[in-house]
Amino acid sequence: MLSVGPVLKYVLTLLILGSVVAVHAQGSPCDLMISGEVIDDHDRTPLSFAEIFMPELERGTISDEQGRFSLPGLCPGSYLFRVTHLGCEPVERRIVLNKDLVVDFRLEHHHEELRELEVIRSRPDENVGQAHSEVDAAELETHTGRSLAEVISNISGVTVLSSGPTIGKPVIHGLSGNRVLILNQGIRQEDQQWGTDHAPNLDPFTSDRITIVKGAASVQYGADAIGGVVITEPVELPRGPGVGGEIRTVGILNGRGGGASGMLHGGVGGLRGVGWRIQGSARQLGDAASPDYILSNTGLREAGGSASVGVNRHWGSASLYYSWFGRELGVVRAAHIGNLTDLQNAISSGVPWYVAPFGYQIEPPRQAVQHHLFKAETRYRISDRNMLLLTYGYQADDRQEYDNRRGGRSERPSLDLFLVSHTADVVLNHWLGPHVHGKLGVSGVEQANFNIPGTGIRPLIPNYAERSGGIFLLEHFPFGERLELEAGARLEATELRVGRYDQNNVFVTPEHDFVNHALSVGGNWSLRDSLFLRANISSAFRPPHVSELYSEGLHHGSAAIELGDDALPSERSMKATLDLDGNWCKGRLRTAITLYHDRIADFIMLRPDGVQLTIRGAFPVFRYVATEVRLQGVDLMAEYRISGPLSWRVRYSMVRGRDLSANEWLFQLPSDRLENSLVLARERIGVWRKLEFSITSQVVARQVRIPLDLDFMDPPPGYHLLGASITMALPLGNNELRIGISGTNLLDQAYRDYMDRFRYYIDARGMDLSLWVRYAFGAHRTPRN
Amino acid sequence: MQQLQNTLVLALAILLISSCKPKDEDPIAPPPPTNEEEVITSVTVTFSDPEIMDDVFVFKSQDLDGDGGNPPVVTTVPLPAGRALNMLVTFQNESSTPAVDVTGEIEGEASAHQVFFSTGDADMSILYGDQDGDGLPLGLVNVAITGAASSGTLTLTLRHDPDKNGPGVANGDITSAGGVTDVEVFFPLVIE
Repeated sequence: MLSVGPVLKYVLTLLILGSVVAVHAQGSPCDLMISGEVIDDHDRTPLSFAEIFMPELERGTISDEQGRFSLPGLCPGSYLFRVTHLGCEPVERRIVLNKDLVVDFRLEHHHEELRELEVIRSRPDENVGQAHSEVDAAELETHTGRSLAEVISNISGVTVLSSGPTIGKPVIHGLSGNRVLILNQGIRQEDQQWGTDHAPNLDPFTSDRITIVKGAASVQYGADAIGGVVITEPVELPRGPGVGGEIRTVGILNGRGGGASGMLHGGVGGLRGVGWRIQGSARQLGDAASPDYILSNTGLREAGGSASVGVNRHWGSASLYYSWFGRELGVVRAAHIGNLTDLQNAISSGVPWYVAPFGYQIEPPRQAVQHHLFKAETRYRISDRNMLLLTYGYQADDRQEYDNRRGGRSERPSLDLFLVSHTADVVLNHWLGPHVHGKLGVSGVEQANFNIPGTGIRPLIPNYAERSGGIFLLEHFPFGERLELEAGARLEATELRVGRYDQNNVFVTPEHDFVNHALSVGGNWSLRDSLFLRANISSAFRPPHVSELYSEGLHHGSAAIELGDDALPSERSMKATLDLDGNWCKGRLRTAITLYHDRIADFIMLRPDGVQLTIRGAFPVFRYVATEVRLQGVDLMAEYRISGPLSWRVRYSMVRGRDLSANEWLFQLPSDRLENSLVLARERIGVWRKLEFSITSQVVARQVRIPLDLDFMDPPPGYHLLGASITMALPLGNNELRIGISGTNLLDQAYRDYMDRFRYYIDARGMDLSLWVRYAFGAHRTPRN
Repeated sequence: MQQLQNTLVLALAILLISSCKPKDEDPIAPPPPTNEEEVITSVTVTFSDPEIMDDVFVFKSQDLDGDGGNPPVVTTVPLPAGRALNMLVTFQNESSTPAVDVTGEIEGEASAHQVFFSTGDADMSILYGDQDGDGLPLGLVNVAITGAASSGTLTLTLRHDPDKNGPGVANGDITSAGGVTDVEVFFPLVIE
């Protein structure tokens, strides 16, 4: 048995020693200075109080009243500069520094002209070569009141695996659940991701930007990053004095509910660099409606709160963060069935067997979840280029699921789980010269899952304790201004100890050890300023989840008997992505193409294995098996400015997945989808500013590539949905009011989606409208474009 | 100064690493075994002739290992032709010791349960002999009328939360009953 603890401490000691050596090895002259002016490109006026920020060094400055700035004490090398100013589109530029430089940054106020100047490159130090997309604050805003999965499904290549209208899990390039890693505020989200009916427990109100890495990324992020990584990033804490905040509210028609969130943040007078933030939110929805009937018992109640405090000084930064998120949701009553006969009846009748009038009450079957996250983080600047990052995270995930039970047991949970996770990361950002710099890190996870006694039902997954420890090295090799390469490796060991009663009611404690490695090579290449290529080949791994090893029995949600296999090995994936971003026709046309090829060895999936007769009737049996699969696909995005304020945007994504051992298509992969939007942007109409109108048509094809004899029903036909949205801003002195209306499924189409596990029972949500308002006030407002 | 800072960082790092030791109880210490409380392992159908005291015919379907595992063990006897028999349905949980009779729980929630029957090709009709609080059938006490010698399959289905007001449901037609199947067993039926 491999014990991780001592290894971890040994590695840590090495790392600390290494960092001390690195400090003393620093000898290059770091006395270069970059200075210049920030000016408005439109009328050449200087822009005061623009922020010039160097993300790689995490340092920056503010331009003075004449728009001038200077940043002294820099070492030679290639740096990214991000310049932001209120009301302007941020500009990012990479600059090679080998002597003192004077540089002028020109910012553009006018949204429609900016794309000609924009250099398409974002934070190259992270995820070199990896295809990734971002949902920025402005876009997050238009999805106020929607779940995380719904918000990010607007990115091409990302879809949702849902269980009715309330439960959604993100799917990246055809993979979901335990194969998509979620980093919430920099911490691996550890909730019950093994169930397809377990949505990630986090509050979308707490993030200001969500990044989706669409490649295998285990080197940097550890296990589970096979399909991709969803990174929710916190809003940076204020550094200066003054108090500001924002209030957001949303009303949602379908479900007759809404939500609200409030946030306050500020600095502390007299304590330079100290900032704080408190935030709270709540959301409630009643039963959703399809065009023809109410989707009974699909109500939802959520509440969340977070508080953080931090200090940011010349020596680095330190912060504490705590968040709590609670959610109670109803599971479609008509989707709870007893056996295969019930399922066949549901399919042949075509309408749900239980429909009640609209209501807000949440009855069994229902889920109640609470998630706590505590994070302590410090970034310590050892020298100008070397930084040590320490992060500790504590998470507690408390989940109860209730079913309709006999004998007054409906108020007793049928599943009652408590999952505690500790994560610790130590990363050394090191600089070995202008052509080699990177990260060296160790990370550890310790986790314990408890079944709380008293359910009166044999637990679906057993108690377990899991420990893992990993070490990784990721180096960047910038070659001039246009090319940057990256290579990395990780080694990780996982120890899983399980405590369960076997079929003869004998307590057994099997143990499993997994040792995995991951490699990655990639590059960013600016062919020219308007053409940018990312290429990456990387591997990822995922040890089998305890549910895949030890499931044994009936899964009510799917009316199937699922049998685990305790001999399953880790999944290993090798994924190649090629990503090309371009600006053409003087910036009128913008394109983004992602091609990928993913091969996964020992891919764990359920394969049918006959029918089992029980006293409840007949059930299909599914067995977890490891097989070899191949996933390939394309994501396309193009945006064309037709004239002045009018542009046309198209998104397309397709994925093909084959089970190579069985020579079959893979089950439950998203079908091809095409989205066309017309966007009309106006800088001002009357008192309103930054107006944007858009109308979107989404076509989702029928999935025709399905495995034979596996599903209970043919995939539902394709469908077409129409959506529209309006956003606008109203400046109120120094404060700002932003309003938006968005509508989905405006034609009130009755349809079912192949990626909805409840497609056998119910239609999807019908027409929906939401109206949101965001009011930002006081100091520290995030600049919006 | 540099030295002091490095020492501080080292101290903090060690603090962070050592703080990830679990303070909770050991998850793999044996918890009390779970008593499956709600399981129905056995269905017993007892036919008796009210006029001939010792004429009792018992059908039983027993699935001790619950969902999955082995299929249920079914025992039946031939029924006499041309008779009107009392037909009692009972449900047991025989996986716990001592065995628990679950019939009372179902009676207690009579309006949320209904037993349905079908006899296939066998010449037998079944009439409900009991009611819930709303005057709608429950199906634990019934009368079975056997016709000519024939054979078929007696299917017994216990539905939780059926729509008893649905078309034909009160007369024993399961087609539009809805609800969730708690029990579905098949008895070979011979009338001679």
